[in-house]
Amino acid sequence: MALGADRYASRADTLAFIGCVLLSVAAMSLPERVRDPFARVVRQWVLAPLLALQRQTELLSASLERYDAVVAQRDSASLAATFVPELRSENTRLRGLLGLGVRLGSGYVPAEVLHAAEPTNPLTFIVSAGRKQGVKPLSAVVSPEGLVGIVSTVDAQTSVVVSWAHPEFRASAMAGDGSLYGIIAPYGTDGPRAWLLQLQGVAYRQLVPEGTAILTSGLGGVLPRGIPIGTVVGAAGEAEGWERTYLVRPAVHPAAVTHVMILTGPPLKGDLRSVFQSGGEAPP
Amino acid sequence: MRRSDKYRFWVILGVLVVLQFSLRGRLGGDRVAPDFLLLALLIYTIRAAPGPSAGVGFLVGLLRDTLTPASFGAGALAHTLVGYLSSWSKAVFFAENLFVNGCLFFAGTWFRNLVVALASGKLKGGLLGWELLVWSPIQSLTTAVAGVVVLWLFGRYLAIRLSDA
Repeated sequence: MALGADRYASRADTLAFIGCVLLSVAAMSLPERVRDPFARVVRQWVLAPLLALQRQTELLSASLERYDAVVAQRDSASLAATFVPELRSENTRLRGLLGLGVRLGSGYVPAEVLHAAEPTNPLTFIVSAGRKQGVKPLSAVVSPEGLVGIVSTVDAQTSVVVSWAHPEFRASAMAGDGSLYGIIAPYGTDGPRAWLLQLQGVAYRQLVPEGTAILTSGLGGVLPRGIPIGTVVGAAGEAEGWERTYLVRPAVHPAAVTHVMILTGPPLKGDLRSVFQSGGEAPP
Repeated sequence: MRRSDKYRFWVILGVLVVLQFSLRGRLGGDRVAPDFLLLALLIYTIRAAPGPSAGVGFLVGLLRDTLTPASFGAGALAHTLVGYLSSWSKAVFFAENLFVNGCLFFAGTWFRNLVVALASGKLKGGLLGWELLVWSPIQSLTTAVAGVVVLWLFGRYLAIRLSDA
């Protein structure tokens, strides 16, 4: 290598330059049948390590980009996986509704609960069925598990439902075997017994064992007979020695309901006990 | 130039060659990323005589032509011209400072692209204008910047005396 001293073009330099230019021109005029094999040999033997390095670099670059994509996909999958139990639960509920619809036969309107973000949403909520779907005020709103509430106000396409948790909700209730009657009402929204019901007006002489199923009695003509309300979990108190009050665990929590059925007309049977006895099962 | 500086000189040129085939793909588009291989040639020509510079330029160009057989020979011609003219003009005209060397890198890259574009005959009309007036200046600029950085960092190992610009 001629580094340093000779800084000006000597005759040898000029000859070398002219030679290289001539060789370049000759290379430009090479026919393809000569040029391509030569280029292939140079690529395979001379440039192979550098091309391998370039290929590895591209692979590394692509791997880094793929890694980001894979991480994004994994995050999306993880996020989707968090909804799987909720989807399963909703699926089960929808299957239950389908089964309930088949058993009811006629006189119902399916509706979707349009949940709102307000904390009072479990007390009153909107459902996606209204006057045009045949919904009337005071219609019973049920889910496969039991009573959710009653329709309060009906609009053209939506309705307002007052759930059993609303402080003004009242319904005539009875034990599953019809041995006792009372009035069911929300226990309250404060304290450890929030979101429970209370069965009031039970005759003092009648003791209700824990676990007794409480159903609508049909008295008063507003709610059909035999819709599950809940199960007795214990005594709440007694008044003056002439009546007892029992705590009832509700069959349905309004906040957990996504789809409901609104009973719009007289069902095929006057008593709905048999309809709800196999509640939650899908139709065959 | 000391004996150890000679090794460093070749190591730096080798690193530039490696960068051409590794880092360059990550530095933006192919038409704007710095040409480290040409930069290595230009740094070589700063200290080499015009004849060897032309020869090395021819070899570098020929190797590049094997990667783009469509314009085979054009790269060899362009790099031969760039190598020879760079070495000759550096000896005759240019002082040794960063700015002048940066201008040499810029002009060498642009001239190489000009010769390749004309000799290959593949670019004509507006395409040629875009290449020479837009893309080539950008690539020349990035190459010049890379060259200035190399000289600034390793100038003493390249036996290039850099005066204040």
